[in-house]
Amino acid sequence: MIGLVKAELQKLFTTRLWWIMLLVMLVLVGVNLGLFIGFAGVSQNGAPALPERDTVEWARMAWSAGADGNVFAMILGVVMMTAEYRYQTITGTFLTTPRRGRVIVAKLVGGLLVGLLFGLGALVFEAVVVIPTVLISGGEFSPAAWHIPQTGLGIIATFALYALFGIGLGTLVRNQVAGIVGAVVWSYVIERILVAIPALQPVGRWLPGGAAQSLLSIDVDTGLGRPELLPAWGGALVLAGYAVIFALVASATTVRRDIT
Amino acid sequence: MSAIEIHNLAKTFGALKAVDGVSFTVEAGSVTGYLGPNGAGKTTTLRCLLGLVTPDSGEALVGGRRYTTLPQPVTEVGAVLEATSFHPGRTARNHLRILCTAAGLPVQRADEALEQVGLAEAADKRVLGFSLGMRQRLALASALLGRPKVYILDEPANGLDPAGIEWLRGFLRHLAHDQGAAVLVSSHVLPEVEQTVDNVVIIAKGRLVRQGTLAELTTNGEPAVRVRAAKAAELAPALEAAGARVEPAEDGLLRVHGLDSGAVGQVALDQRVALSELTPERSDLQKIFLELTEGR
Ligand SMILES: Nc1ncnc2c1ncn2[C@@H]1O[C@H](COP(=O)(O)OP(=O)(O)OP(=O)(O)O)[C@@H](O)[C@H]1O
Ligand SMILES: [Mg+2]
Repeated sequence: MIGLVKAELQKLFTTRLWWIMLLVMLVLVGVNLGLFIGFAGVSQNGAPALPERDTVEWARMAWSAGADGNVFAMILGVVMMTAEYRYQTITGTFLTTPRRGRVIVAKLVGGLLVGLLFGLGALVFEAVVVIPTVLISGGEFSPAAWHIPQTGLGIIATFALYALFGIGLGTLVRNQVAGIVGAVVWSYVIERILVAIPALQPVGRWLPGGAAQSLLSIDVDTGLGRPELLPAWGGALVLAGYAVIFALVASATTVRRDIT
Repeated sequence: MSAIEIHNLAKTFGALKAVDGVSFTVEAGSVTGYLGPNGAGKTTTLRCLLGLVTPDSGEALVGGRRYTTLPQPVTEVGAVLEATSFHPGRTARNHLRILCTAAGLPVQRADEALEQVGLAEAADKRVLGFSLGMRQRLALASALLGRPKVYILDEPANGLDPAGIEWLRGFLRHLAHDQGAAVLVSSHVLPEVEQTVDNVVIIAKGRLVRQGTLAELTTNGEPAVRVRAAKAAELAPALEAAGARVEPAEDGLLRVHGLDSGAVGQVALDQRVALSELTPERSDLQKIFLELTEGR
């Protein structure tokens, strides 16, 4: 089994996509952080201003900026599965390991690890940007007050689980482009709307995106009111539930299908 | 127990009977050619054998077991299916190393296999730039990783140049005759495998048409030369004097056994007999195969 997981990681790391995804993710997180830095304390047209850069509130918000990168973990998950069908390497994979359930488990474990690494990458990048910014602005670095352990765990866990969602989605659609478009539309459009609009939050908080946010303890008024999310442990349970569902879907749709 | 056993295998896709009650066996130490025109059901049979396609009924066994129940399949069976099953952005060596890791084989098998198929130079090139023939060699290398005793190869000669085909023939004979492996190789082009195989199984439209040793299939119509001449009656005794057995057919036509067309031509020249036709007859196997291929 360890060999199979290693093989799945090798598949990803012997092609170029992973570092392109990592780069794009860091750019996106960087842009988010840049906006937080640029607009800190600026009040526009009477809208409530972001907190000042030296405050604990600003640091908490900035620290959660990495959460946006989870879609890249999901895309990698999609690709881990769909690339096998796109290039027909699935034939060689199943010839080597004809018990297909084992391949699926190895992919899920590999996906979790990759998601974890990407989450860590986002956190390290945040640390490098946020901590100096606060210190230069005259604030104080305080991991506990900034909720770093909680937010950090939340980001890593959501990245890892989104990679699983990607693998599940990939086994369902099998078409690479459709899978990637699906992942982006889902997490950037559908979930955003359902989680951000208060009237829709009763639905939104049960979705992976809403559940993920409850892990991040972002307590910020976006202008639409504070989001009504599940408690953190509830969010964790919901995400784990989705992971199980996607894993089952992944194996059920793959184990008996003819590979022609 | 035979190395490969197929019993009454059947598989339908929708309304199409792709494989319809096929049975045959392949023994260790021999090369079996699995021949049939395009769409005959060769690939489907091989994919059933390899656990990629689930047959509707019948059995396909390797070493007496279903492929999916083999504990270490790569060490028992080497398979080549399509020439395109590689990630274009991955190098040849990495492709093989991944298979080694997944199968629990030492990674240096990757380099050894590349060496064996003559791809050592291209080991660190991405598959993107590979020619069809190089892809075939890489596919063959992946079949060699686990040093198996059974080889299942689907049209492995596709895309190889004449030198490559010659190399492949030698390689397959070496695997079977020197190393005692059982080799099942499919093709839709008879000449590609005719000089390599010991046994032949012919399939068309999903049904088995003919099977036997190459010798059985080719000698029941011993090769003959058709000769047509106005003065056939003068030519026949001269041919017999040269050691041939002559079978008079219709008017002016002779079927000559035991001499090739060159020798027949020489005799005709010596006798100053003008020929209007001089044709080597196709062997029985070729006839059967052509009828199947053309009758579609
Ligand atoms: N997944 C599939 N769905 C529907 N029909 C299929 C499928 N796979 C194969 N077929 C059909 O089954 C028949 C047998 O196909 P198969 O690929 O086994 O033939 P083949 O002998 O390998 O031919 P070729 O020499 O062209 O490779 C063909 O008519 C093909 O169209
Ligand atoms: Mg075929």
